[in-house]
Amino acid sequence: MRSLRLPVLVVLLVVVAAGTWYVISSRGSRNAPTLPVYFTKMDGTSLGRTSVSLRPPLAGESAAEHLHNTALYAAVQAVAGPPGDVQAIRFPPGTRVLGVEVNGSTATVDLSKDVENTPGGSFGETGEMKALVYTVTGVAGVDAVQILVEGNRLETLPGGHLEIDEPLHRSDW
Amino acid sequence: MKSTNRFIARTGSLAAALVALALYAIAPPALADAPLTASYQGRAIHFTHLSSQAGTLAVGVEDPGLAQLLRGAGAFLTWRPGERYVLITTSVPVVVSFAIGDPRYDIGPIALQASAAPFLVGDEAYLPLREVLRCLDLALRQDGNAEILQPQLSTLDVRQENGRVTLLAHAGVPLHARVVAQAPGRVEYVFDGVGTSLTGTRQVNAGGVRAIEVVAAGTVRAPSVSLSVTLDPNATAQSPQNSGARDVALAFTAGPGAPESVAAVGASPTPEPEPFATPPSGPAAITGVTVTPGSDGIVVSIAVSGSAPFEWHRLREPDNRFWIDFSNAQLQGAPIDRGADDPLQSVRVRQIDPSTVRVALSLAGPKALAIEPSSQGMQITIGSQDVADEPRSGSGSVGSVVAAEQNGGEVTPAPLDQNAAGSSESDDSAWKFGPHNGYVPTDPRLIVIDPGHGGSDPGTQHGGVSEATLTLDMAKRLRAILVDRGWKVKLTHDTNVDVYAPNDSAHDELQARVDVANKAGARLFVSIHANAYINPGPYGTTTYISKPEDLPFGHIVAAQLEGDGTKDDGVIKAHYYVTYHTRMPAVLIETAFLTNPNDYALLTDPAWREKVAQEIADGIAQYAREYPVANQPAQ
Repeated sequence: MRSLRLPVLVVLLVVVAAGTWYVISSRGSRNAPTLPVYFTKMDGTSLGRTSVSLRPPLAGESAAEHLHNTALYAAVQAVAGPPGDVQAIRFPPGTRVLGVEVNGSTATVDLSKDVENTPGGSFGETGEMKALVYTVTGVAGVDAVQILVEGNRLETLPGGHLEIDEPLHRSDW
Repeated sequence: MKSTNRFIARTGSLAAALVALALYAIAPPALADAPLTASYQGRAIHFTHLSSQAGTLAVGVEDPGLAQLLRGAGAFLTWRPGERYVLITTSVPVVVSFAIGDPRYDIGPIALQASAAPFLVGDEAYLPLREVLRCLDLALRQDGNAEILQPQLSTLDVRQENGRVTLLAHAGVPLHARVVAQAPGRVEYVFDGVGTSLTGTRQVNAGGVRAIEVVAAGTVRAPSVSLSVTLDPNATAQSPQNSGARDVALAFTAGPGAPESVAAVGASPTPEPEPFATPPSGPAAITGVTVTPGSDGIVVSIAVSGSAPFEWHRLREPDNRFWIDFSNAQLQGAPIDRGADDPLQSVRVRQIDPSTVRVALSLAGPKALAIEPSSQGMQITIGSQDVADEPRSGSGSVGSVVAAEQNGGEVTPAPLDQNAAGSSESDDSAWKFGPHNGYVPTDPRLIVIDPGHGGSDPGTQHGGVSEATLTLDMAKRLRAILVDRGWKVKLTHDTNVDVYAPNDSAHDELQARVDVANKAGARLFVSIHANAYINPGPYGTTTYISKPEDLPFGHIVAAQLEGDGTKDDGVIKAHYYVTYHTRMPAVLIETAFLTNPNDYALLTDPAWREKVAQEIADGIAQYAREYPVANQPAQ
């Protein structure tokens, strides 16, 4: 009889642990925090926003990892823009986020070369970058966004006007 | 409570670690599944990174077959080892987000449950194949022993506007609707080459459309979808709008005398919802939504037939929106979008994906909300009082509402009025760089004009016209007017050349233009441009500034340009190189859009360019009167 105690104890422990894990997971999904995703309206300056939900931090996920993951999520959402039926200034088709790094309170967002297809004129570049900066700085702990294109820091987009060789802040608009 | 939560969290972490250890001990080693070849529109797609480790077939993010499908769909995947989110941006565009270890996945704002959680095998993330294919509007079907990737008609959205109903069909391939039968009161369409899981009958009863019936037909390899639309006797069906894209619109118009809709929402005196129609069996049906005045506020009643899990969310002040999504549910009736009385502002009801109905409320403030089951389904009571710290989300199923729980402060608030973004009253929008205090022009009668672009950089080119040519022309016209009025004028370049050097860097070129003004100690700096966008929609004149001392000058010039014949977009602050780095008050004027037909006509008209030059000159004169050199704004 005594020989059965250990296996029974192990089984009980596993059942309790699994139950606790399930409850905690469920609580997390019910209370998913949201992230505002900004887009620049077609007047060229005012912002609209949608929201997407985030996952709560994983057990074992460090604060730095969570910040990185959240900033990446924010950048990808901003570059994708709002649903297609929403009138918004959009990044050129095919523009993608190649990577995001967060150092201190600055998120460096590396964009694909497609962003250089932004047409001349300040309308597109300003609207795109404003939406990206507002969205990524909506992540707690991020105050500024450094733009890279294919890993390179540019002074402006080709033919552009906006100075992007230094981190951009919300106060730039 | 917090210590209890910490205890639970710690216990949970310990337990999770134990479970992981146990699973590690008993789980078999991760083995890759055999490769799978599926036929997709006559092509063979080879999936070689497959695993059933999680109990359902999953595909690796580095799978060549997946890469081929993503490319073909105009979608792309964002993930690197060590990252938690695996993100697929579709061509719609919408971001589909998977997270390692979490069976939940999101399509835009909609949270769904996948058949299994994504997992890692070595340095590669594996995603549940069925859900990935769903994101690409595909489904894996079997035809005997052969695997077929079948394009899906994935959404069929019913929209109602001004007594007219439009059915919007979307599929994973270019979609084409053909009319196969038409008789009074009925029209039948067929979509070839797509399958669907949206089968069944939906009552619409709006805009002349009574009901629609979707039937999957054809074979696995040659599927088709039949769509039968039952109409009111006087209703008319317009020809399908086939554009060769993945969306097709089918429009219907109610005949004379037809009721506009039975799907109206209003302050009905009837306390219970009016059903739209008899709900079908199977998924739950949202059969009606009514708004009625309550003792303290407004009551929104949602009639639900059947059982449906739901999840609700509300945003933080100042964005006072609330929405509740019913899963496994069908909207019986036309979508609703209408205003309402305080404390409610608007109500929207629609089928947001094939199995989810969303009821979205816009509130007139951070109002108290009570979500309760009712005999008809659900009741949401919106109080007239503003409250703080309201719960932000909750979930449950109809008839068993789960109490909402507070978010633990994890949401990052963006305290921004979307219509006031950029307002100087906001802390976020405060001037970043501070004033260039005490600038005194060494040549107070000198104006530097910068014709945008030039030389190796033609700027925007459209319709055979280059921006550089136009801006140089306007700059010369402005110079002539100013010289006539006794000003000294210097252009950064007065022929179509680079200011620094051909094919120079943006920095060198822009700094050279700034240097012209700064070295000369000019009074004012004016950079002239023409705007552009990827489509012809945007038009108008915008005056950009960067520094605090630019603001009065910008407002005066923008006011003068109001009457230039196109839309006035006012003054916008932006971190532009030339306006920021010049030490004197500066503006960058985007005079009009070369890409807009009306603006193009203006820009290519010499008389209009002369008029713009005149208005800028008038702005300079007014500014000089209102802000003499001794009283330059130095905020």
